[in-house]
Amino acid sequence: MEQYHFEGTDKYYLEPELKAVVNIALAMEKPLLLTGEAGTGKTQLALEAARALKLPVEMLRCKSTIKGEEACYTQDTVLRLNDARFGSGETGRHVHNFYDYVVWGPIGRAFRAEDKVVLLLDEIDKTESDVQDNLLDILEECQFTIREVNETVKAKVRPAIFITSNAKRELSDPFLRRCFCHHIAFPSPEDMRHIVALHYPDTHPKLLETAIAIFYELRERGFEKPPATSELLDWIGALEKTDTMPDPEFPPLTGILLKRSGDILRHRRGDVRRRQY
Amino acid sequence: MTSVSEHTPNTHTNALFVDFVRLLREYGVPVGLRELLELNRGFEQGVVAGLDDLFIFMRLVFVKRVEHADGFERAFALYFYDIDIPAVAEGDYALFNTDQFQRWLEKEVREGRLPRRALWEFTPEELMKRFWDTLRQQMEEHHGGSRWVGTGGNSPFGHSGNAERGTRAMGASRNRSALKVIGDRRYIAYSDKNQLREENLRQALETMKHLKNEGPYSRLNLEQTIRTTARNGGEIDLVFERDLRDKISVVLLIDNGGYSMTPFVEITRLLFAKMHERFEDMTTLFFHNTVYERVWWDFRRTRAFPTEQLLLRKPDTRLVIVGDATMAPEELEARGGAIDNYHDFNRPPSIVWLKRLADRFPHTCWLNPLPREQWSHAHGAYTLRRVRTLFHMEDMTLGGIKGMVEHLSEK
Repeated sequence: MEQYHFEGTDKYYLEPELKAVVNIALAMEKPLLLTGEAGTGKTQLALEAARALKLPVEMLRCKSTIKGEEACYTQDTVLRLNDARFGSGETGRHVHNFYDYVVWGPIGRAFRAEDKVVLLLDEIDKTESDVQDNLLDILEECQFTIREVNETVKAKVRPAIFITSNAKRELSDPFLRRCFCHHIAFPSPEDMRHIVALHYPDTHPKLLETAIAIFYELRERGFEKPPATSELLDWIGALEKTDTMPDPEFPPLTGILLKRSGDILRHRRGDVRRRQY
Repeated sequence: MTSVSEHTPNTHTNALFVDFVRLLREYGVPVGLRELLELNRGFEQGVVAGLDDLFIFMRLVFVKRVEHADGFERAFALYFYDIDIPAVAEGDYALFNTDQFQRWLEKEVREGRLPRRALWEFTPEELMKRFWDTLRQQMEEHHGGSRWVGTGGNSPFGHSGNAERGTRAMGASRNRSALKVIGDRRYIAYSDKNQLREENLRQALETMKHLKNEGPYSRLNLEQTIRTTARNGGEIDLVFERDLRDKISVVLLIDNGGYSMTPFVEITRLLFAKMHERFEDMTTLFFHNTVYERVWWDFRRTRAFPTEQLLLRKPDTRLVIVGDATMAPEELEARGGAIDNYHDFNRPPSIVWLKRLADRFPHTCWLNPLPREQWSHAHGAYTLRRVRTLFHMEDMTLGGIKGMVEHLSEK
């Protein structure tokens, strides 16, 4: 069996702990469920892992309307009806052949692939909980049944499965039990330096240092929606464009960092109540 | 360095981990057979090459919800390093109620590092700082010395040699060591045992969103109607479903009796205020220690509101009482027991009023800022127990808020 080992990429800073997590999940071929604050790079991780391991990606962007089955396959009944009525002509389809009218979903494609692929189920928490229950066994056994012809599609090679969740809705216990779960904690200042450096390699180090210091100081103040990584990246980008050095006393362009009006007003009032610990 | 995988998977190691699993359960991490099998499979595949790997691997196997992560990390520190970390965050005054703090204090006094009267001579902040400093020191120079918090070498698990063998990896490892990760306590904000505060308010709010009231069957389900009508052979069959606008009315009854309550009063009001658009209406009233014939509109208790009036509200009103429920027994049970109205012997005692509230409003919950662990032996535990016979009680942790929402949503 080929061993897959992910070391991070030029675009993604992989902190050591996360690296160990990803590699254990890859080695044990378990679905890896990533949770964490918005903007901690959950989806990015799966995509970059696929890129580094040179594996193709099959991605399911979950919506609340999704039923689960169409993630595996759908049958184009309208096309089949049309062919039955008017003939399939030169297309090579045959009305009697069910598989000519099957459209494979991401899970179906991943299971039917000849080689290992990365299967990413993005924002699984948007789906209804019975959809998650349906997906449980499919992912565990890496197979599903096509109801219409009662045939089973089984993965030739177990895909590397990544699942992300924003915890909008609680996931069910049975679902969680079948995954390895990792909550991506907010990056520490050192990690943040690595992340920012990957995005802005040419920015002046002093600007970066000051910006990161202000950023973490703001996060400490207990705002209702504390600024996250993506906000920091936008902010540094804006600072670079306007060519300003942020003043720790009166940071400019705070609208990029703080989103809630209550937070912004509190910040203007200079309410510097710190966390208790 | 002794690698853990060298002597796996034999029965000896399994027995070792069975104890650890038991400890995990004690720390509130639900663990079952499935996880143990998974653990074994991992050992067989050789994913673990040292204690730090073991830490990450075990966390993947055992921790399925982020609220259990802090419990897991503390259990790991106790089991593999013999470091006993309390469940509270640094700077939290709840520290003084933890066993870890008590044991540390006893030990410091016994060994002469603190005077006998330390509790009186030092400020709480000073004691707290000393405790956490000791803990940090242990974690940094973890060498099996004698200054450990808590177990003092008498670990209940009989593995004290284990830590010395296993932890030489510290610093030598390419990864951040497990102990350093644990020391960061990154998951404490998510722990169910965590006190409610502004930083984790959002999380509590997520929970509060489950607070719902199902309305009458007044909404027409068109799709279902068409389906059943067709099945009925065209005879129209209307299907209604419950209206899900969760419009409920909430009465928040807050004890502003003592200074100890003040921080909790603010946070509770904030919690409910944030949710106000989901409520039909929300009223905040105040009382002092316990409820008598009057409650008050304002924090200073100048504008009174008869409790009788409160009892006239719709029975499906959600009543949330915030208070520590600890007081002198006569305040609760005796006529004329009220501390600000003690000469009036004609009125019924407070317990009667509380009972009336509990009877009128089936959906009530008493939120107690005292941590659950203290309920049985807090000063005033007697009245607390009495109050608990009338009301469903939760403490003011994220887990407690969850429990409250569950209880209030029950039909």
